Amino acid sequence: MNLVALQGVLDNFSFAILFATMLIYWTGAAFPQIPLLSALGTAGMAIANLCIATLLGARWLEAGYFPLSNLYESLFFLTWGITLLHLFAENRSESRLVGVVTAPVAMAITAFAAMTLPDTMQASAPLVPALKSNWLMMHVSVMMLSYATLMVGSLLAIAFLVVTRGQNIELRGSSVGTGGYRDRTYRLNREESPDSPGVAMHPGGTAVLESVTTTEALSPQRLSLADTLDNISYRVIGLGFPLLTIGIIAGAVWANEAWGSYWSWDPKETWAMITWLVFAAYLHSRITKGWQGRRPALLAAAGFVVVWVCYLGVNLLGKGLHSYGWFL
Amino acid sequence: MTTDSHLIKFSGLWAAPKRYFKKELLPLLADLRLAIVLLLAIALFSIAGTVIEQGQSLEFYQSNYPEHPALFGFLTWKVLLTAGLDHVYRTWWYLALLILFGSSLTACTFVRQLPALRWFTRNTSKFYTQSRQFNKFALGAEFIGERLDRAIPLLENRRYRIWREGDTFYARKGIIGRIGPIVVHVSMMLILIGGVVGAMTGFIAQEIVPSGGTFMVKNIVDAGPWAAPQFPKDWAVKVNRFWIDYLPTGEIDQFYSDLSVLDNDGKEVDRKTIHVNEPLKHKGVTMYQADWSISAVQVKLNKSPIMQFPMAKLDAIGGRIWGTWIPLKPDLSDGVSLVARDLQGLLLIYDTDGKLISTVRKGMAVEVKGITLAIADIIGSTGLQIKADPGVPIVYLGFGLLMISTLMSYVSHSQIWGLQKDGKFYIGGNTNRAQVAFEREFLEILDQIDGRSQSGTIVTTELTKVCER
Repeated sequence: MNLVALQGVLDNFSFAILFATMLIYWTGAAFPQIPLLSALGTAGMAIANLCIATLLGARWLEAGYFPLSNLYESLFFLTWGITLLHLFAENRSESRLVGVVTAPVAMAITAFAAMTLPDTMQASAPLVPALKSNWLMMHVSVMMLSYATLMVGSLLAIAFLVVTRGQNIELRGSSVGTGGYRDRTYRLNREESPDSPGVAMHPGGTAVLESVTTTEALSPQRLSLADTLDNISYRVIGLGFPLLTIGIIAGAVWANEAWGSYWSWDPKETWAMITWLVFAAYLHSRITKGWQGRRPALLAAAGFVVVWVCYLGVNLLGKGLHSYGWFL
Repeated sequence: MTTDSHLIKFSGLWAAPKRYFKKELLPLLADLRLAIVLLLAIALFSIAGTVIEQGQSLEFYQSNYPEHPALFGFLTWKVLLTAGLDHVYRTWWYLALLILFGSSLTACTFVRQLPALRWFTRNTSKFYTQSRQFNKFALGAEFIGERLDRAIPLLENRRYRIWREGDTFYARKGIIGRIGPIVVHVSMMLILIGGVVGAMTGFIAQEIVPSGGTFMVKNIVDAGPWAAPQFPKDWAVKVNRFWIDYLPTGEIDQFYSDLSVLDNDGKEVDRKTIHVNEPLKHKGVTMYQADWSISAVQVKLNKSPIMQFPMAKLDAIGGRIWGTWIPLKPDLSDGVSLVARDLQGLLLIYDTDGKLISTVRKGMAVEVKGITLAIADIIGSTGLQIKADPGVPIVYLGFGLLMISTLMSYVSHSQIWGLQKDGKFYIGGNTNRAQVAFEREFLEILDQIDGRSQSGTIVTTELTKVCER
């Protein structure tokens, strides 16, 4: 099978897989008692990830350069990043809710790329001279990875907002160390029975044991689902933020080396800065007393829109250094 | 006048403003809520500059933002120009926001972050000696019996640094995650400072120089108030040659300028062929390949010597063209126009009526109205962007530190306290970022201390042995 035909099969297949995965995750959320669904969802995401990786690899082979030269390729690269970050977030949070929000977005992007984009825009085309630079490839790929990461983080924040709707909650996770302290109403007895193996190992401890079980020994208070979602969202955004920083700086340094200005207030540049500022505000809001809870998550959810404007919206304006005529 | 009276007041009552600065202004500037509001405000106002076209002519705004009907009911060109929305990033209010942001950044670094670091790097007074001190931890536990000596190697295996004093210990890892944000703030300050230095002491100049010409940097387009020392005074630049490489399809591949830097005596001190992405740097001044033009055409009429005619850029829709007029009779009563699109060598010949008569290539000749017109050469000129920005090293330092420190800030700082007292072992810990991962780690540690996974411990040691082998 030749590479072009392979690509045509792979892009539609990734869409189909992601569509099925989305339905599996949604069914799983509606009927949590059905076994296997969460494993199926994870498998679906992993297969989609590999399909897209193969698709991009085939284009790399075919065109001879890193496949990030047009909208079609960049959309698939974005989806690849989203599925990758999904697998990371799901593994960390052990929550199938992650897929409920990430799968539809990944599905929608592939649907748009594989079906809505005209064939002429899907074909791989020679690079514009301005893109023939290793610096630029590094800049673009890191930016795309950061978009994917920030999108997944924002989606988790949206999931958190859905889970905690109508509640006034105080979170435990924060980066000044105000978190991690005990909720006074919560006590859990860790060493329930006297014949627990841990105690039985220790001769001499048995005598004390009776009193321990009655006075309620100190034992860990576990994170709730909301806490977990919020913290994983924070960690993913915390990873996307340095990527965004590195991506912007790579672009600035390249611009300075190429035409002598590291910042020229081009619309795309400005929007990357706006994205950076919004997520910087999010990171700061988490450590502000009295703001822990839904407020930072609202900022992160707004960040989802900002990332999309930065990624595609600016090109709709069709101005500046970063317009490659994607839509015009 | 008012400033004078203020000065007197200030010198007389120095203590009061100092007190005001320390007690009122500094805490306000260092307030996180102010920082968040500033970040979002800068983001919001920056959007204006991406939606409204920047740096256009008065006529442009008059026709695009008419008074009737006003956009959104208020945005007429008068409002737009008064608010400076035609150059958002240079307005006083945008710069004021940036200055406020810089002050907040500085205040925050000194008031909050550095003291916090001092606290986290001090370990001596952190030991817990009372069991009730462990009650506050969400992740806290107690065990019956002697577990302290079992807990410490477990933590060491997990790369914790441990301080022990008798029956109590303090362990931490990931202190780099506490240093990261401080470096982030310092690097942001460096970038802002570098930007200001660049704006104050840098300049931009543009020169269009024909191939073979020599120039001194004169045409300065933009310069900061203290840019004068950067202007090149004791050296000039000679453009040895300018040429364009074309792809077989006729598209431009690359522009090249072979440049020599000459000192006052005309001696060559530096030489380099520059192209886009590859500038020449000399004494803090950088020359970039930015533009090009056609400067002149050299022709021979019959057996005349080679004559050079300057080419002028013509106003044309859909592309750039250059043209010149060549007399064919000594009294200038007849002649032809030569028009060129690029430096590939093709010239179009038009007569006085504007009719295309013929075309000719560089190095070839053509018969026009009984006269042999030979094209010896087409001379291009290079468009150079010349720039000095003494702020760049500071900005680059900030960039480098910012990249490293944002990555450092991802690391979560975890702390664990332990106490063996009255036949019980108490353990508690927290972390500042990765709550989920730390909870997992902490529960594993508890299981291992508990002995429930003693078999697990044995497996680990055996694995270590295998690895050592």
